[in-house]
Amino acid sequence: MTGYILKRLLSAIPVLFGITVIVFLIMAMIPGDPATAILGNFATPENVEKLNRDLGLGKPLVQQYFIWLSNMLSGDFGTSFALNRPVLDEVLERFNATLVLAGTAFVLCSFLGVIAGVISAANQYGAADKGITFVVLLGISIPSFFLGMMMILFFAVNLRWFPVSGMWPIYGDRTLGVLLSHLAMPATALAVVATGVIARLSRSAMLEVLRQDFIRTARAKGVHERGVIWRHALKAAMVSIIPVLGIQAGFVLSGAVYIEIVFQWPGVGRMLVDAILKRDILMVQGGVVFVAACYVLFNIAVDVAQSLLDPRIKT
Amino acid sequence: MTAFFVLLARNRLALLGGIVLACVVFLALITPILPLADPDVTNTSNRFQPVFLDGALLGTDHLGRDLLSRVMWGTRLSLAVGFAAAIAAATIGAAIGIIAGYYGGRTDNIIMRGVDMLMAFPYILLALAIVAALGPGLFNALIAVAAVNVPFFARNIRGITVGIANKEFVDAARLAGMSNSRIILSEILPNVIPVIVIAMSTTIGWMILETAGLSFLGLGSQPPQADLGSMLGEARSALITNPHTSIVPGIMILIIVMSINLLGDGVRDALDPRLKSGALSRPMAATRVDRAETPPAASGVGLLEVKALETQFHVKNRIYRAVGGVDLHVEKGECLGIIGESGSGKSVTALSIMGLVASPPGVITGGAAYYDGEDLIGAPYRRLRDMRGRNVSYIFQDPLATLHPLYRVGDQLIEAIRAHRPIGKAEGRAKAIELLKAVRIPNAEKRINDYPHEMSGGMRQRVGIAMALANDPDIIIADEPTTALDVTVQAQVLTILDELRRSRGLAIVFITHDFGVVAQLCDRVAVMYAGRIVEEGATTDILDAPRHPYTARLMACVPELGGGKRRLEAIPGLPPVVDKLPEGCAFAERCDRVQPDCRSGGIALVRKDGRGVRCVHPVDTREAAE
Repeated sequence: MTGYILKRLLSAIPVLFGITVIVFLIMAMIPGDPATAILGNFATPENVEKLNRDLGLGKPLVQQYFIWLSNMLSGDFGTSFALNRPVLDEVLERFNATLVLAGTAFVLCSFLGVIAGVISAANQYGAADKGITFVVLLGISIPSFFLGMMMILFFAVNLRWFPVSGMWPIYGDRTLGVLLSHLAMPATALAVVATGVIARLSRSAMLEVLRQDFIRTARAKGVHERGVIWRHALKAAMVSIIPVLGIQAGFVLSGAVYIEIVFQWPGVGRMLVDAILKRDILMVQGGVVFVAACYVLFNIAVDVAQSLLDPRIKT
Repeated sequence: MTAFFVLLARNRLALLGGIVLACVVFLALITPILPLADPDVTNTSNRFQPVFLDGALLGTDHLGRDLLSRVMWGTRLSLAVGFAAAIAAATIGAAIGIIAGYYGGRTDNIIMRGVDMLMAFPYILLALAIVAALGPGLFNALIAVAAVNVPFFARNIRGITVGIANKEFVDAARLAGMSNSRIILSEILPNVIPVIVIAMSTTIGWMILETAGLSFLGLGSQPPQADLGSMLGEARSALITNPHTSIVPGIMILIIVMSINLLGDGVRDALDPRLKSGALSRPMAATRVDRAETPPAASGVGLLEVKALETQFHVKNRIYRAVGGVDLHVEKGECLGIIGESGSGKSVTALSIMGLVASPPGVITGGAAYYDGEDLIGAPYRRLRDMRGRNVSYIFQDPLATLHPLYRVGDQLIEAIRAHRPIGKAEGRAKAIELLKAVRIPNAEKRINDYPHEMSGGMRQRVGIAMALANDPDIIIADEPTTALDVTVQAQVLTILDELRRSRGLAIVFITHDFGVVAQLCDRVAVMYAGRIVEEGATTDILDAPRHPYTARLMACVPELGGGKRRLEAIPGLPPVVDKLPEGCAFAERCDRVQPDCRSGGIALVRKDGRGVRCVHPVDTREAAE
């Protein structure tokens, strides 16, 4: 197992490398003088010259890339001129908030999606199946930001069940209960689309599995139908569900950008949008590389989970 | 193509989606000539007018602009951008995919590595990076959304192209001296276009959502121009005071995306051949029973007695009579063989007994199966489940497919025991090892931790037998248990079954298509053809002198070791399709003794002295002996 994890980690190195190349190339598309663009309002001649020196901006692109890469590897993602703060500090702080939001949403959508899919498949063409199929269709069609806004209107403004926005109250204690009440709406709104996609896929994966011979064997043994569905069929279906969970994690992370804006959540997505609007290029660059790298590592965890489930994968 | 549209139209939801989408697109197209207010004229004294007001049907926004007009123009813009992004992504993605798939080798490798890297990003990060570099704006948002969707198309199209590039007609074009670019344009492209269109229909909803999203973030369309996303973004600050300004564009996005999704699902379903054939329907816990007549009473022979069993498969409007009235019985300690070609209904007969025929499409339409006087057909599911594995257990054909691939064999054995009696972990494990030893698996203490894929075919089938024995059943139904095994392993498995029968007094129903196996194991044998028994009797009698021409021909197909001179004769033709059985004898078409009266009326199974034969002109004993 350790060997397998090491192997997967090693195979991630070229991907991480590729990610930095892609981000670097996109940023190289910025029209005009890069130092002036990066500095924006702070583009005094001294600052421009210092930045040119730090980032090697006068040098050929390949050299620039390696300077940027080695800076990042030593933990220097540059300094945000808009915030006057090291990019990495800001990203790390914001990423925590995103992790809380996206992590909760991911757990929610994984559980609800798989359960809904299994129930749907087990009652194929029945009332539960039709109901779930309709809700799922609605869920994957509604823009999460619109859903979030409607939730605020209904649950926060009209019913006053949850606070309107933010992660913590401005005054008062930072307890888990307070966090959960702030988290409930954004996490749900964020989870809805992914729940729908996972439910759909789980349903078809279950239907595929339920026709297999080993399901008939389980029934012939006298295993209760509940055991047939939730143990035998679900375990086999998880083999095709888990990779989709990995892909959906990317969509949850993406959707978090909208939800963070709607609910004023102090996450990395909102930070990126702010940075783009303020033309804080180094912040965008650093934030994108960092989050993408975390996502790559998360997908390795997904692969490892898959190999734990399926002994046929060579470890 | 017409069939496709018929199928699509039959799906009412898809039709609804299509109609709604067509209406929205039509309205968006004619927006410029509709009598609407100018969407960009501000009138701050008239701001935030509620809906259904004279002059402004959907009210006005924070600058007093007419919302109905704005939502129509916004829809126009959102649709245009979404479609443009989809077409751009599809074109570029398909081009990349075709080049990678057609040229293969290093080109393919480098391109697909790049595509994989792009796919390693959560899509929005890439889109944000692109917008950050190019600057906010609707056209840049379009580029970003198209760019992040390129890898999806590239990967799909590459897969299809690889398949086509190796086809004969492409080789032929190459040999004819056509240039690569001509082959791509004239041979490859026409074949991938349908795939491109389908991929587009499933992603276009997404692209509309994504561009709306970027506009919502303020990175897409810039004021005063507004698509639906930026309308929502602008309305957000007035969400609590004037929710209608948010709800109007939000609902519009929902309507568009939902109708596209409905239509897309319909397209996908119409193209999926598995849905048509019903191959994706879930088999129920027990076979559906729908008997028109009261089943015949038990006559009291045998531990298990099957009476006039009829099982059908209902697929669409067709009815396949897989089992058309079968009578069987097996005594304690006896081995009954059921033999026949594939499709003769022997497995379906066996599976019907415990309600294990996949349903849908299977339905038991008549007859009974008495176990110790109790009718199992139509027994409540609880009773059936209780008896499965405990009174009657099954051994199936391919042990790799019939054992759960992700559970250790020991756990599967323990589960079989625990399905019927509560026993502790240690005790279950001990019992499982005992069972593995009973089927002579060497090193049982260790093998119990194996996964099925870690065992050989013979070992797996022994596990299958051990599992069938787990609860000391009275009857084992073995459905071609040795067919997937090689001959030496087959012999070992048969020996184990035979020993178990003798030591435990098991009744065995043994299904096979191999007369050699029947001769070795079975006391009596029933020959099935087209869902009916055509001959039955003691194995030795039938082997000595088959009376039904089919039995005789079936035996003639078995090669004899050392009997070199005899010609092996295959039976010409195929068994009849069981949805339209001919009148009279089902074998008449293939029989070399056929006479006119074979083709009329029902032919009964005539029983005499423990032999039964369903034939008007049976082979007489003297003739058969020769």
